[in-house]
Amino acid sequence: MSEPFLECAAMAVELRGRRIIDGVSLRAETGQVVAIVGPNGAGKTTLLRALAGLIASTGEVRVAGEDPRQASAQANARRRAYGAQQPASAWDYRVSDLGEIIGAPDAYADQLGSLDLSELASRRLSQLSGGEQKAAHLAMTFASLDEPYGALLLLDEPTASLDLARQTLVAATLRRFAQAGGTVIVATHDLTFARTCDAVLVLAEGRAIGLGVPSAALTPAVIAETWGASAQAEA
Amino acid sequence: MTATRATLAGLAGLAALVALALSVGAQGFGWGDGGAWALLRAPRVLAALAAGLALGVGGAAQQGVFRNPLADPGLTGVFGGALFGIAVLLGVAPETAWRHAWLLPVAAFSGALATSALLVVCGRGGSSARLLLTGLGLNAFTAAGTLVIASRSGESRELLTNGAYGDWLGMATLELTWMPILLCLAATLLLLTKARSLDLLAFGDDAARGFGTDVAGVRRDAVLLTALAAAAATCLVGQVAFIGLLAPHLARAIVGPRHAGVLPCSALLGAALLLAADTLGRGLWPQAPLSAAAVTAVIGAPLFIWIARGRHE
Repeated sequence: MSEPFLECAAMAVELRGRRIIDGVSLRAETGQVVAIVGPNGAGKTTLLRALAGLIASTGEVRVAGEDPRQASAQANARRRAYGAQQPASAWDYRVSDLGEIIGAPDAYADQLGSLDLSELASRRLSQLSGGEQKAAHLAMTFASLDEPYGALLLLDEPTASLDLARQTLVAATLRRFAQAGGTVIVATHDLTFARTCDAVLVLAEGRAIGLGVPSAALTPAVIAETWGASAQAEA
Repeated sequence: MTATRATLAGLAGLAALVALALSVGAQGFGWGDGGAWALLRAPRVLAALAAGLALGVGGAAQQGVFRNPLADPGLTGVFGGALFGIAVLLGVAPETAWRHAWLLPVAAFSGALATSALLVVCGRGGSSARLLLTGLGLNAFTAAGTLVIASRSGESRELLTNGAYGDWLGMATLELTWMPILLCLAATLLLLTKARSLDLLAFGDDAARGFGTDVAGVRRDAVLLTALAAAAATCLVGQVAFIGLLAPHLARAIVGPRHAGVLPCSALLGAALLLAADTLGRGLWPQAPLSAAAVTAVIGAPLFIWIARGRHE
């Protein structure tokens, strides 16, 4: 097996005295798109934030051989990008401002193009629909990395609130990113999307109850245990 | 309008305002013999300009740090803290304070910093209600503290009461004001360097940190510099609310929300607004001038209510 690009072992996170993540292990290789799935409150967002080095955690974490918790925010930002579930801005920037704010206007303009947002570049964020705002923030996240090679994308529900066309564009962008030598970890409720990923981690109450290729991780038994019997029928 | 054009237009407007301010006074309208009247008014005009710069940029910075358009050091208790710091010094050691004039800005800075720290600890979290209620409490406490000290100290009573009404510009002399003026300029220039970090902070702590911002460092620096700006401005004017609210609000309407434009534009607007308020207060009632703070409150309070109404939590 090749060296993993991202690896965490026995990772645990406590927030306000409550254990949210409890001994999760995960490895992702360069070129992989990995989905983290689980019901509401399973700890997907917390795990993603911990992997990004945004909150304190215990256990082992390695991104490209280094512990993101020991690195500066600037050093981390060079090799990984984090996209929040409900990104929002306190001020009503123009869509085009976002590229200048992260210091990468050209890369951002390219990403706007690949998400079919170029025509909205001169609008204010408040003039966009919720899905369009989300997509603009995703473009900002993608563009903040110099190049996909050797970089990590951590995205929280990237396709939520997007229309079908843009969901497909985002999925294609993630796949291109991975094929160019990047690694992608996505927290998602969308099991259809998760089945297209290279690996799936099933999270319930902060613990990993399934990990592997989608067909092995998302078995009817795991789905029933995680989401209940009615979900099994849906899936 | 681009930030550069807006800045140039602002500078031209400000120059005209300075000329007007130098020509208005209790002696009547005009420059006096050989500019003698203007020379007498110059320290007051300089003090108003410097304090206005600091108030404008300080308001924009505080709004950026708290991601809240209703934040204003005058409303969140930071000015109150600065004046309270001065009051404590004058109450405890009035003679030492006047022998070593540099102690006044130091006391103001300590007070402003203490209230800023409380505001950060108690008022954070993005909710306007929490921030403003904390500010309300801090304002009430520091105002009460200042008045208690004022009522107990015979010599400083009038001085502190005038400070609470934002009525110190009238006693501006170069000997008294050069240090706070320099501090206002320093705080303004240093805050101007925080534009990009404040833009990134707008997307939330996680996102800002994700993009490589040292969030705690930026917040600490901005809070420290805003406290310095507030302290220095308080030494010049006393307590003035609403400039720090009005200036960034107008700046965003003119140059858009990017802090690279908002911070300098807000500084210039702050200077213009404070000078205009002071000039108006002197020009309309030359025999009994209205304080700059009173004039800004008359304009600022309705605007505050208007912004608050339009803001959806």
